[in-house]
Amino acid sequence: MRNRASNTLSKGKIRQSWNKYNLYNLQRFRSPPTVNRTFFQQRWAAKAISRAYHGEQVREGQWKRMFSKRIRSVFPMNTADLAADDGSKMSAGRGSGLLTKEERQPARLVPYTHMAFAPLERRLDVAIFRALFASSARQARQFVIHGAVTVNGQKMRHPSYLLNPGDLFQVDPERVMFATGAPKTKFERRETRQLKQKEAEEEAEAAAEAEAEAETEKSESSEKPKKDDSRGTLKALMAQAKAIMSTDKDLAAKRKQELRGFQKAVRRVLSRSETSTILTDSLEAQFSELTLMLNAKRTEKKPKDDNKKKDVQEKPAESEASTETAVETKPSTPEAGDKLSEAFQKATEGNEVDTSELSDEEFDILRRALTQMRDNPIDTSKPYATPWRPRDYMSAFAFIPRYLEVNQNICAAVYLRHPVARPGFAEVPTPFSEAIATPAYGWYLKRRW
Amino acid sequence: MAPRIQSQRVSNTLLPYLTSSSTSSSSFNTSSCSPSLSLARQFSATAAPQTKLRRQMFEWLNTDGVNYKHHVPGEMNYLAKGRRDADSAPSNRPFPNNRNFVSESVLSEELRNEVYVQVVEQKKSVRAVSVQFGIDMKRIAAVVRLVELERRQRSQGKPMAMPYARAVHEMVPVTPLAERPVFHEPINDLPAHPSTGAQIFYPTTESRSFTRIDAGRVFSAAPEFQDAQRAAYPHPSDLANVIFKKPRKIEWVGKGANYRQVLQPADVRIPHPQQVQMERDRIAFPQERRAVLDRHAERLAKQEKVEQTRRERAKKVHEDSINLVEPEGGRFDFRIKDAFFTNKTVGHDGRAPFAPGRRYGVPTNDRKRGVVKIPTFVKA
Amino acid sequence: MVVRIRLARFGNKHDPFYNIVVAQARSARGGKPLEVIGTYNPIPKRPVSLYNENVNTRPYKEVALDQARAKYWLGVGAQPSDPVWKLLNMAGLVAPKPTTYNKA
Repeated sequence: MRNRASNTLSKGKIRQSWNKYNLYNLQRFRSPPTVNRTFFQQRWAAKAISRAYHGEQVREGQWKRMFSKRIRSVFPMNTADLAADDGSKMSAGRGSGLLTKEERQPARLVPYTHMAFAPLERRLDVAIFRALFASSARQARQFVIHGAVTVNGQKMRHPSYLLNPGDLFQVDPERVMFATGAPKTKFERRETRQLKQKEAEEEAEAAAEAEAEAETEKSESSEKPKKDDSRGTLKALMAQAKAIMSTDKDLAAKRKQELRGFQKAVRRVLSRSETSTILTDSLEAQFSELTLMLNAKRTEKKPKDDNKKKDVQEKPAESEASTETAVETKPSTPEAGDKLSEAFQKATEGNEVDTSELSDEEFDILRRALTQMRDNPIDTSKPYATPWRPRDYMSAFAFIPRYLEVNQNICAAVYLRHPVARPGFAEVPTPFSEAIATPAYGWYLKRRW
Repeated sequence: MAPRIQSQRVSNTLLPYLTSSSTSSSSFNTSSCSPSLSLARQFSATAAPQTKLRRQMFEWLNTDGVNYKHHVPGEMNYLAKGRRDADSAPSNRPFPNNRNFVSESVLSEELRNEVYVQVVEQKKSVRAVSVQFGIDMKRIAAVVRLVELERRQRSQGKPMAMPYARAVHEMVPVTPLAERPVFHEPINDLPAHPSTGAQIFYPTTESRSFTRIDAGRVFSAAPEFQDAQRAAYPHPSDLANVIFKKPRKIEWVGKGANYRQVLQPADVRIPHPQQVQMERDRIAFPQERRAVLDRHAERLAKQEKVEQTRRERAKKVHEDSINLVEPEGGRFDFRIKDAFFTNKTVGHDGRAPFAPGRRYGVPTNDRKRGVVKIPTFVKA
Repeated sequence: MVVRIRLARFGNKHDPFYNIVVAQARSARGGKPLEVIGTYNPIPKRPVSLYNENVNTRPYKEVALDQARAKYWLGVGAQPSDPVWKLLNMAGLVAPKPTTYNKA
């Protein structure tokens, strides 16, 4: 495989890639001129342009062996029409059907020549790119070679494996997140480094402190200061949750600090609560425990709703106001947050909770913050910017053709069938117009080898 | 999955976290992208090696191209031809030059789960669910597989790509799960048969109706139907009825390599032939809506039963041919299959290419040119 | 001369595959046998099932055997080699081979 996948501006070739250079090339692309060109020249140019996009990682000889002049097409059938006519109407008259002028509509043409490169869409690396699991076909190819891809549950290391209809392929989700996520910036990398150092220091200190505390607690078994402490942390927790969900657009770094603080606070709360039997560092466990508590509270709350309807009706307005103020000023200690934190604390202690003090909205806020924390955590060890966000210019290339059925959660997809053409549409994604597709197809129709 | 973003208002509150497309960061990035503007170059004695093309590119990226950098949840953000206005509807064509390719919608998370629930838990037939939601049957099977796999991996605690999934579903068009099912795709696609590629001039008498059955016979060069046969199938979908009960009823014509099935009419070859029969019933009895639907359900049930027994029989035959032995204390099981080494299976000289086992006296073709050396299929 | 039922190795390096053959005892391993009656793939396969949780997940080895021919050759006095004896035993064609350990 020759390495000629560069997105140069001077050549202006379009590639299977989400690169911004590629986007620019795609935007300024014009079909080559045909005036004063021989037929051969036209076809040659069309072939060169389309091969730069379709399977440029495939050798020409290999592709020529794959090429098939037969093109799959389907025609959507209307069952009502089939039922109404057994076909004799179509064959009546001179064989073109007895139709009035109004009935006869110009048939939509089937873009057969756009399907010239359909056999390449069967390739595993191309299918991975089409399923939006990699940001370029070359990257998809690398994933396959590096063993991050399974087909029907078995590791497949051949990028040129031709998928059969019904094959299920899966890419390692971490690789997909890396491929499609925004990269770390220089500053983020530096920040990560610094934070790592700081955390290491803090952990060492905390470990030493915890040991000392444990000793003192054993001897004294004092409850009061502990309780007060947890109250404070809960207040802070809620404030942070609110800050996360607030609408103001902060700098990324600041947001990250907030999130990190929230994460720590959650951990602290869990360590204090008596319900949590196992103290876990994993976010998954933290999340499930917190949601369990919240769910328990929710169910308790529902029967009481009728009594406290008045209360509840007042509450949303109040809490909305409070959130608004929280947005404008700093969310230090709003009233609603106070009540929530109290209730939350009680829940953590496993006591009977006076749920009327909590509004639905606050539940939602806390829950949403928690969900995000769980799904999209800050993890400096990841090779992409965390929390994950799509890489720039991804949306301009994001489409999933119908011959694939993709489950993004597990980064798996099924190759349902071979791509087909239908009246008006071709399923092979190609950036070129008919003026290029047809001469390119013509080039391969004529055997020169 | 986390609560999907439903409305613009909500998504805006989440945006800084989900996509971090804040104005401050984007403007910061763009300025750092264009070296001609950056401060780092100012002390250099020579001008920055900036080609005209590069300058043009960054110019475009900072003006019109800015729109494509980040997406708006729930909207397609494809390259538009020419300048894109803020109020113009987003195009569904990812490639501005190709009018024949559109970005088609994908199934939403809720719809996928609903399909899974209906097929696996409520035990509805794939055919019925396909008609209900307007989803291709192959896609339904794939959805069931994928959701099952997802649930398994979730229970195993394997890593998932939730933020990625959310982002993709924000970028591509999505078929939602609605009260009244929105049809996802055409479900009665008729594949074009290669034998219909040729244009055939076939004169027939005008007094006799030339139906789709006759056309299929002409395309596959089968002898014309006699009047008695023609009378047996007044409508092509009657033929479909017969063939679905007994698939072996399909006629074969030709000799040797040219031995082929007679091309069947569209009523047989579409994925949901029962619908044609229902429509015929509806035309015949326009007043009895209820009865027509009842008869349709009956037909579907019958068809499902036939297919079910067919599947079970095939499964049983397959299972019977395998003898699984679990030796005591061994780590491995042994699957003992029946093989038959007869004249027919190994060829007259025992060297037939289709003979079971490896062959003698014939070089392996793993070094021949043009032979595919990598796996051609993976067992599911 | 003794006729044996034995394995003939095919496949590549680190990728063995055996034909179960009937051959003269002194003939070469790679020579043409009297008859091929089956195959044996000693590389264990793991059942990959994406659908069924309850499927037996023990790895398995594949054997294909023409039982009628095997019975015939055993009936006329062909002697299975030790590995083939084990396979034939699993197919239920011969009793387990008496070992010296069992005799003692």
